[in-house]
Amino acid sequence: MTTTPVLEAIDETLETQGQPPVNVIYEWLTTVDHKKIGLMYIVYALLFLVVGGFEAILMRIQLAIPNNHFVSPQVFNQLFTMHGTTMVFFMGMPILFGMGNYLVPLMIGARDMAFPRLNAFSFWISAFAGILLYYSYIGGSGLYAAGSAPDVGWFAYAPLTSKVFSPGHSTDYWTLAVLLSGVGSIGTALNIVTTILCMRCKGMKMSRMPLLPWLYLVMSGLVFVAVSPLTAAQVMLTLDRYLGSHFFDTQAGGSAILWMHFFWIFGHPEVYVLVLPAFAFANEIIPVFSRKAMFGYPAMVAASVSIGFISLSVWAHHMFTAGLGPAGNTFFVFATMVISVPTGIKIFNWLATIWGGKIIFAPPMMFMVAFLFQFLIAGLTGIMLSAAPFNWQLSASYFVVAHFHYVLVGAIVFSLFGAFYYWYPKVTGKMMDETLAKWHFWLFLIGFHLTFDFMHVPGILGMPRRIYTYEAGRGWDTLNFIVGIGAIFQAVGTLILVYNMIHSYYKGKEAGHDPWDAWTLEWSVPSPPPSYNFAIEPTVNSRRPLWDLKHPEDPDSDYE
Amino acid sequence: MQEGQFMPGHEHEHRSHTIILPAPTPWPMVLALGLSLSIAGMVTHWIISVLGVILVLRSMFGWFFDIFPHELHIAVPVQTGVMEISSTRTTREQLPIGADHRQMLPVETFSVTSGIKGGIVGGIAMIVPAAIFGLLKYHSIWYAVNLLAAGGFISWASESTAFLCQFHLEGLLAATGIHAFTSILIGLLYGAMLPMFPRKPILTAGFVAPLLWTGLLYSALGIISPVLNARINWLWFVVSQVAFGLVCGFIVNLQVKVRTPQFRSLPFAVRAGIHSDLPLTKDEEL
Repeated sequence: MTTTPVLEAIDETLETQGQPPVNVIYEWLTTVDHKKIGLMYIVYALLFLVVGGFEAILMRIQLAIPNNHFVSPQVFNQLFTMHGTTMVFFMGMPILFGMGNYLVPLMIGARDMAFPRLNAFSFWISAFAGILLYYSYIGGSGLYAAGSAPDVGWFAYAPLTSKVFSPGHSTDYWTLAVLLSGVGSIGTALNIVTTILCMRCKGMKMSRMPLLPWLYLVMSGLVFVAVSPLTAAQVMLTLDRYLGSHFFDTQAGGSAILWMHFFWIFGHPEVYVLVLPAFAFANEIIPVFSRKAMFGYPAMVAASVSIGFISLSVWAHHMFTAGLGPAGNTFFVFATMVISVPTGIKIFNWLATIWGGKIIFAPPMMFMVAFLFQFLIAGLTGIMLSAAPFNWQLSASYFVVAHFHYVLVGAIVFSLFGAFYYWYPKVTGKMMDETLAKWHFWLFLIGFHLTFDFMHVPGILGMPRRIYTYEAGRGWDTLNFIVGIGAIFQAVGTLILVYNMIHSYYKGKEAGHDPWDAWTLEWSVPSPPPSYNFAIEPTVNSRRPLWDLKHPEDPDSDYE
Repeated sequence: MQEGQFMPGHEHEHRSHTIILPAPTPWPMVLALGLSLSIAGMVTHWIISVLGVILVLRSMFGWFFDIFPHELHIAVPVQTGVMEISSTRTTREQLPIGADHRQMLPVETFSVTSGIKGGIVGGIAMIVPAAIFGLLKYHSIWYAVNLLAAGGFISWASESTAFLCQFHLEGLLAATGIHAFTSILIGLLYGAMLPMFPRKPILTAGFVAPLLWTGLLYSALGIISPVLNARINWLWFVVSQVAFGLVCGFIVNLQVKVRTPQFRSLPFAVRAGIHSDLPLTKDEEL
């Protein structure tokens, strides 16, 4: 029998309604509240999601049929460069930092981040970096002086980035924008680590901390280690281009391989920087919608930390075709394969959490089920690509593109969408429309599989990535057409999500403070939470403090 | 969490119905804008950089006085009320646990380190059949050594059998490294498996694990090391694996078992050794 204990106090912010728009804008520009900064991160990232998605649609139109000239080759180069850069630096990281900004203090019982002003600075510098990147469409002249946006790929391999091959400022815009966004990323990572280590509420030992902050702690540690080399490399590239140094100038004793190492020592941990928050969302959503405590909490923590460490030793699997030598190949093959062990532990633990539970297929859980399945497939193709001989055959093919989009979209974006549906009621106080959510889910799911399942095949048939167009009759035609159709499904699904978010904000049902009957601290405060989060600092005795409140006759603290 | 667990951590704030928070400030945004502009000047016009530097200096000044001599705060008013934390679900189930549920788990098992010890000694023992294979087949004990090392030297892929039968110091070092690493790793994996299969270590290590490991390698070696795959003799490979496993299992069997967490759940009389009439494992019960 469920009892209904009562909190001694509840907090309701005395919000002043009906302020003039100027005041509202000034309030958002000057805010240091982690929730508002988190929301700004998310909105800014969603805008870039639309931009990056639009670029993807243009590329798929170009590749939908053979011998197509929908865009010029120069524009196509810009499209895949800007799409990759936007989605990784100006959509993926900001949206996940935004979620972390919003959720971490609430989940650990803190009133704000450790450094609120640094938090605001980190957001704004990331935002200005994105604007600077897109200002290149106006302000720079690129390769062949025909375009203006960067066109050297999101990895900007040397020596393509040298002044000889990339005159004008297009590459500089890329370098400077990424450098600035790196400053913001490191600032936010520093904030998250300090907040988690120093500002947990009473009773919340590390072993009682929810898994989401744990994953954000590991992710932020990775950001320190991974983003710093990238920032260093950007400085070196700028020196090459402006002051005549020769770090990456192969004609003057520099090394193009050096750039690859710098880029991928960032680039592969970056995948885990993006996917660890996706795991974090799964860790919170799956137990609530399975109505069971997380299976194997210590193993999940250990696996997350292991992933953090191992992910730092796998970068050169992106460079098998560069000729690393047998020792390097062997090491990176095994290191890459080893990372599947902690990842596998996570998948088994999620399945064990679902197993025997009272599963509720609400929209967040639907996205999580898809996430589990798709992440497994992504991991399996990852193991295939980790074998150097296999990689030699399919490197830089559409098989690789399909693989990493399975990770980035199939795992991360699906998990992110699930997180949107899960925490939207907390952020806005309104429930999202479930019918629209299901339309979004099914359209996006169908679109995703049409696009990325079929994308593997032209890769196996030899279609190189970054190719502008192709001859008919190679067996790629129909497959590319289907891939393009899938992209449209995904775009429509995403638009439904955007509509649902706006529609529900004005017309949605009241959510209350705990619509999912959940167990972590953020559900103990009103929706939306007041600016100070908690009027009275909470004290916790287990990993599920709200379970303990709801079931004082059988608290988790008796078992942990 | 116990009832009344939301202790008043900031009592003074609660009584006054205000909470102190950092004051909003424009300077972080201005500093970010200034830094961005000062860098953007590199690709636009130097005037932009000058404007950026001015904004940077002004914002640093402003930010400094946000914090010194006293950090600026705002007092946010709080209205207290009553909130119910309750579940909408009226039923709650726990996994049914029978009287003998926990008896499936051993109260004693081998430690992980015993697996590592077994791996090391097994790895040494494995050298014998490998050397015999080389002697019988190619009249050289170095053949197997060089074949293993070839996994790390891709240039050896096209070398002749005669080359592989000769002594090469770099081959010996590489093979020693690979063999030592692999033996310890297999020992570690075996040690980790021991709590699941604690009863017959010699059988598990001597036959089951080698056959599983061989099957796994058989399917994957063509991808991992085509050189090794082209020249390997699977019959002798299985023999050497079994030699590894038997010795590994024997060494493990000599180790002292350690108690698992399940031991703590036994009655005190049993733990103290006064009574031993409770079944420790399902096997012993049977």
